[in-house]
Amino acid sequence: MHQCRCAKRPHTTMSKSSFLKAGHTPTLIASFLYFDLAFMVWVLLGPLAINISKDLGLSHAEKGLMVATPVLAGALLRLVMGVLVDRLSPKKAAIIGQVVVIAAMAYAWTFGLHSFQEVLVFGIFLGVAGSSFAAALPLASRWYPPEHQGTAMGIAGAGNSGTALAALFAPGLAIAFGWNNVFGLSLIPLIAVFIIFCFVAKDAPGVPPAKSLAEYLKVLKDKDSWWFMFFYSVTFGGFVGLASSLVIYFNTQYGLDAKMAGYFTAACVFAGSLVRPIGGNVADRIGGVKSLSVMYVVAAIFIAIVSIGLPEAWMALIAFVCAMLALGMGNGAVFQLVPQRFKKEIGVMTGLVGMAGGVGGFYLASSLGYSKQLTGTYQLGFLIFAALALVALVGLTAVKKRWRTTWGASHLTAAKI
Amino acid sequence: MPLQIAAGHSSLTGPRERNEDFCGLATPEGPDLDSKGMIAAVADGIGGHKGGREASEYTVRGLLADYFATPDTWGVPRSIETVLNALNRWVIAEGSRNAELSGMATTLSALVLRGKRFYTAHIGDSRIYRFRQGALQQLTTDHIWEHPELNNVLSRAIGLDPRVLVDFSDGETELGDRFLLVSDGVWGVLPDRLIAEVLLDHTEPQAAAAALTTLALAHSGHDNSTAVVVDVMALPEGSLLDSLESDVRLRVPPRLKVGHKLDGLEVEEILHDSRETILYRVKSTKTGQVMVLKTLQPGMETDTPACSALIMEEWRAKRIVSKHFPQIIPALDKSCLYYLMSWCPGATLESRLEVGQHFTIGEVVQQGISLLKAISSLHRLDIIHRDIKTDNVHLGHDGILRVLDLGVAISTGEHGDGLATGQTISQAGTPSYMAPELFQGEQPTKGFDLYAVGVTLYRLLTRHYPYGEIEPFQTPNFGDPQRPTRWRPELPGWLENIILKSVARDAASRFETAEEFLLALERGESRPLAAPKRQPLAQRNPLVFWKTLSLILLISNLVLLWFFTLK
Repeated sequence: MHQCRCAKRPHTTMSKSSFLKAGHTPTLIASFLYFDLAFMVWVLLGPLAINISKDLGLSHAEKGLMVATPVLAGALLRLVMGVLVDRLSPKKAAIIGQVVVIAAMAYAWTFGLHSFQEVLVFGIFLGVAGSSFAAALPLASRWYPPEHQGTAMGIAGAGNSGTALAALFAPGLAIAFGWNNVFGLSLIPLIAVFIIFCFVAKDAPGVPPAKSLAEYLKVLKDKDSWWFMFFYSVTFGGFVGLASSLVIYFNTQYGLDAKMAGYFTAACVFAGSLVRPIGGNVADRIGGVKSLSVMYVVAAIFIAIVSIGLPEAWMALIAFVCAMLALGMGNGAVFQLVPQRFKKEIGVMTGLVGMAGGVGGFYLASSLGYSKQLTGTYQLGFLIFAALALVALVGLTAVKKRWRTTWGASHLTAAKI
Repeated sequence: MPLQIAAGHSSLTGPRERNEDFCGLATPEGPDLDSKGMIAAVADGIGGHKGGREASEYTVRGLLADYFATPDTWGVPRSIETVLNALNRWVIAEGSRNAELSGMATTLSALVLRGKRFYTAHIGDSRIYRFRQGALQQLTTDHIWEHPELNNVLSRAIGLDPRVLVDFSDGETELGDRFLLVSDGVWGVLPDRLIAEVLLDHTEPQAAAAALTTLALAHSGHDNSTAVVVDVMALPEGSLLDSLESDVRLRVPPRLKVGHKLDGLEVEEILHDSRETILYRVKSTKTGQVMVLKTLQPGMETDTPACSALIMEEWRAKRIVSKHFPQIIPALDKSCLYYLMSWCPGATLESRLEVGQHFTIGEVVQQGISLLKAISSLHRLDIIHRDIKTDNVHLGHDGILRVLDLGVAISTGEHGDGLATGQTISQAGTPSYMAPELFQGEQPTKGFDLYAVGVTLYRLLTRHYPYGEIEPFQTPNFGDPQRPTRWRPELPGWLENIILKSVARDAASRFETAEEFLLALERGESRPLAAPKRQPLAQRNPLVFWKTLSLILLISNLVLLWFFTLK
């Protein structure tokens, strides 16, 4: 026993050192930067929502819709981006995406946004940034052999933290320079990363075949795929939906100024994005279904607590951080399961699940706005979302029951014969 | 296209009185060629007046005949070893009984070509060479004493020792490979370079064999010289056994409903409906015989591995003749991809547990004994079931226990002995019943079936799993198993010890064979096993232990440092 343990150790250190050799580190870093900034831009309207709505005189529902639009656009454009990645190459698709976003930002900065409609159209362009997922991840992961895929995806995926950057800096900058100038200021890192990206990132050799529509339809025949899309639409939807609406919430509910609300939001978002890999590890250890079940219950409880309207802002902050921790870990848990459950269809499935996550985010962000508009409080929006988490829990039990079966029958023969 | 070879042989007596060499070649056709392949052998007898020839001829003839009588599910090495063991016993017994034959023994070098692989079995100082693209490579090692005075004295041979130790090797065959089996009368006088030249000059295998033996005698060879040359003319293309290849082209039947008919079989009930497979209870409209029809889900048509898996499953099941397994019923005119097996009314253990049936301790022991008998008959055929669980153990109304579902079973005989050559076989099974090592990516062995039997009995008694329920895609941490007496305090200590031993985390402390497990259950209280000891953390996971210890030491050092600097 003892000897066997010792023999294993050099193996792991070997695989660690070979990770650097295995793929293409500059590309990995470039995709991380691209992804990080793209996510920052994607949720940029959230932290600026207070200032924008003040200037344009938006209602609660309009505010909700404004922050939700980039989320939905990002989810849907992800499919377009996927097609571009297949037809051109990940790098070219990423460059097109960045040029579009930079151009939109430059337009908004020079000419300004003067009406709700214009903001919505601008939101759709920001959605292009949200679709970066579909380009950045394949760009990095195609360089790596299967055993290093997890690490590579983890590093590139850490770009999720970009959402927190927006909440952290945007409100302060908006106060100092005006919200319109924030677009101009964010052009600086965007262009810098764009230049680095153009020089450093390289497409991996060997192009996997393009995914056809038939493949998408085939995957959708599997009941599990629908459940997983729903699971992710709750966890990631909750994460991104809260990330874009919390600034508004802290402002309207507790009267915090834009800067303070931004910090509060950043804390929640940081919590949610940092625990994502932990969630993956926990799922690996105690089981994805088991850990997801716990996450849904925890998230549902804390969101329900928030819904009653806590008396103090710091109490709400604690509840939101707890909910975000659960949702963030849930994200990790879903993506621990998806690649294993859909080994063969992973490419198609990642796209679908990711899109579902965006749709969930759109739903949450806009439903909160409408809830405030129609009932006067956010309670209903939160309660419905908490109920959705419980529906996901029911779905998980169904999946769990179906999964108490033999695994690997056909994979086995593929390797064997 | 099946495997095709061209072969030639030559055996010359030379200056000696008798030819003690013997060579043989068996090239079967049809299913035998598929499952067993073709075999060539060269033997060089020693000792006695006519004993040498007796030993070599008997061994080669015996091997060529009996090799094809071994179970199809056995791998090539096991088949050859079993046959050679019997032949060895005969040679020794005959040599000690008959003065004329006393001291007889023989070398043996055998080559099996099966599918896309070749196997060599070798003992003594004959040799097997492979001639590939102009390069001659010796595949065997001579078993002679490394001592100048003992030169040419065999260290191993058939008939020397009651225990035969045969060398096995195997590899991938390529089109155009030429294999050469020679006795020491050829390689002893002809250097490798010369052998290669002869092989290159003669494209005809028969001419090459004849040229080698005559050349050996011409080079002042004083021994019998024998050569067998085998050329690989065609290799099978498909991955499946050739005789089954025609089934692959069958389409998957559409989803049938109760009352639908297929090939004169009427569907009476859908028994099982899972992700990949579907089972119907069908009744023959002609004979009224009730059977079980197993096929794939309609969407699986394009999934070739799943189709071949179903075909192999039938192939495997056909070879298990036992009352503890559903028997295959041949379907003559199959229009679709499916197979038929016997139907026995009853229920699986899992469905019995589900409806709340309580299993008494006596019953569990009885089921355990039957289950282990079934497993042991499976293991004798070199088949590993890999999916023993309460859902796959069926208790008929006739009181007979049956093991179901060979869907993920493997046998060493059916594919290129992947287990032996380090080819990896991906994991399969039901997570809660899989032994801890399987999660570390270890290759399945027979021991894992026994672990699964342990979990099955554990579950029958307590409705729990020894390490808790394990989900798919989980990499669990295994601690100490939960004692079954926690849920069933009346459980006798001897039974608890047996179950804990069978599900021990460490593979070395489990039962080694089904028979050992069976004996322990049958003996029961009369010869109880020792209770398993709890493993300390330092032994279970030294890394964590030392890390924790170091961390504690570091903290205490820092505290002390802080404490003293404060003073």
